[in-house]
Amino acid sequence: MEYFNLYANCQLVTGANMSLLCDLQMRRYYHIPNDTAEVITYLQQHSIDECIAYYGEDNREAITGYIDFLLSRELGFTDTQHLPELTPLSLSWDRFGDITNVIIEYNEEIDYNSAFFRELFNQQVHALEIRCYQHLPLEKLRSLLEQFNGTTLKFIKLVLPFHLTLELASLDQLVKKYPRVKSILVHTSPVDKMERIFAESVPVIFYKGSINSCLACGEIRTNYFTTNIELFTESQHHNTCLNRKLSIDLQGNIKNCPSLPESYGHVSTANLQEVLDNKDFHKYDNIRKDDIKVCKDCEFRHVCTDCRAYREDPNDLYSRPLKCGYDPYTNNWENWSQLPMKQQAIACYGLTALIN
Amino acid sequence: MTLITALPASPVVLSQKNNTMSAQILILSQSHLEGSTDHVCQWLSHLRIPFLRLNGEDLCQLQRLTDLPANENIAAVWYRRKIHSFPAQYQLKKADFNTEYTLKRFLIDEFNGLHSYLFHLIDRHKWLNDPFTEDSLNKLQVLALARKCSIHTPFTEVVTTKKEIESLLNTYPEIIVKPISECIFLEDAAGGQYKMLTKTIHHANLHLVPENFFPSLVQEKVEKKFEIRAFYLNGEWHAMAIFSQNNQKTREDFRNYDTERPNRTVPYQLPATLEAKLHQLMKLLHFRTGSVDLMVDKQGNYYFLEINPEGQFGMVSYPCNYYLEKKLAILLGESIQELEPATL
Ligand code: SF4
Repeated sequence: MEYFNLYANCQLVTGANMSLLCDLQMRRYYHIPNDTAEVITYLQQHSIDECIAYYGEDNREAITGYIDFLLSRELGFTDTQHLPELTPLSLSWDRFGDITNVIIEYNEEIDYNSAFFRELFNQQVHALEIRCYQHLPLEKLRSLLEQFNGTTLKFIKLVLPFHLTLELASLDQLVKKYPRVKSILVHTSPVDKMERIFAESVPVIFYKGSINSCLACGEIRTNYFTTNIELFTESQHHNTCLNRKLSIDLQGNIKNCPSLPESYGHVSTANLQEVLDNKDFHKYDNIRKDDIKVCKDCEFRHVCTDCRAYREDPNDLYSRPLKCGYDPYTNNWENWSQLPMKQQAIACYGLTALIN
Repeated sequence: MTLITALPASPVVLSQKNNTMSAQILILSQSHLEGSTDHVCQWLSHLRIPFLRLNGEDLCQLQRLTDLPANENIAAVWYRRKIHSFPAQYQLKKADFNTEYTLKRFLIDEFNGLHSYLFHLIDRHKWLNDPFTEDSLNKLQVLALARKCSIHTPFTEVVTTKKEIESLLNTYPEIIVKPISECIFLEDAAGGQYKMLTKTIHHANLHLVPENFFPSLVQEKVEKKFEIRAFYLNGEWHAMAIFSQNNQKTREDFRNYDTERPNRTVPYQLPATLEAKLHQLMKLLHFRTGSVDLMVDKQGNYYFLEINPEGQFGMVSYPCNYYLEKKLAILLGESIQELEPATL
């Protein structure tokens, strides 16, 4: 008897109509019909012959076709048994650090050298995004970057507006001096292009659109999907956009995300432990995709991120992201901003100007 | 001396006794390329477990012997690495290969003399793994011990002649050659890098083998279904299966990384009887942590290959989502509580 063994890090996520086979190790997904997913699930409990007997001879070709596909992508292997020692992947999630990701909407007027700020980056923050809406001389940026020397911060992304004085050579110097800077996005650029600096290791993306406020945030697109074990496991337990994340907005207010209304103090005066102990600060942490309307029926839910700031129904904390145009019931992608059902929310959040 | 001390802001496990420094964890490691140590240290900080990380490099800046960690302050020692590279460069005025080699050996011996003093300074039972056994681990002896615990090992021999290999090939269709010690990496003047990997000998390439050669370890070649790397932590096994057989390029040795089509690495549960035997082996060696490499042949038989007491657990922990770094940090933290139960 021949059996098909699916590797434990290839996880099936079933939606209303379609499923996603997520290869968490190779970091890619396969969008498959629910029928196929059902056969794959059946094959986990039965031999290939039993599977064909169950679905009928008519389906033999289809079933062997699925198995050939799985084998060719090395998503599993065939054997004389289901190896009992191949145990399921644990989907538990944890991180060292109360805050793992930080976004700063940079403002020249604000002094970031506060106790709150220093303590925050002593908490083993992993990644930081520094967003600049206005042009600022690189010297200013340097003194901010200087503060992260000696911290466990691994990754800094810079978002800068295009400026004639912003040359690749000076960016190259900057990232050499501050190797934590691993990615740069230049907005309001005259052209869309991508360059690489620091011996090709740091991408600099030039983007024509302008990023001048956080209103542009929260878009859901397939190219933002991430198939990996970190996101997949965190998504089972927590909100993938806000859990263990903190932002400092343009005014220096401490927030979950710059786009959300609640503020938990000011960067110059707040106490980190008090913010972390504040129940409200954690109110979004455990809103999982499985709890969110529509998303819970969507096959992309564990590779997708989330947005709690702009919701389809602004009055419902569990409403799905406004800026998602996917319909898991029909499997069509539409331009969300044109959908009639979204117009009320668009107006409510003041996004009308941005869209037009 | 620049000891990297990471004391948490508000220790909860740590007691504040007057005048005495409270107990902490000692981690012996190296300053560079040690992701697993960094990772464990980050968990220790997050869990507010006080620790002291002493990199081999720090010893090169020692002011006096009393700067070394004192036994009474150390609750447990995790010996992960010795040193990455000597910070100082010692050069001869006139290059001379032999003298340079002798001097280099001498410096290594000097360094080891200082480093292994720590094994004596800190009570033996506080070490996660017995440091004396760990530092003098012998592959042949480990295989012999494994067999003593009735763990199956591939047929292994040390030979010096082609004749002997020829007669082995009558019993085993293929045999492999690997070092008795550790694989090395070589670099040539042009910057080319060479790594030593396991090599296969069979009838077709036997003519390449010289009549007589330096003592070499040969082993029967097992036709593997997959390999297993199992990490041992205080009585528990955390195993991972490594499937590489589809991939011609990585067939021989999974260290020969293929970045485009990496091997499939998935969680694995070792059979209870094998776990018990391996547990016995770890006990004999006085190891509370370490990695074991095994192989499973086409018929499903297990073969024990070797032990790596330093434990390459990052490569098991991440793909299997085991959180071994966190588990190790918690285990280390428990030894502080055991030492100072009254303060909790
Ligand atoms: S419906 Fe939800 S999970 Fe699906 S793509 Fe849209 S936002 Fe993502």
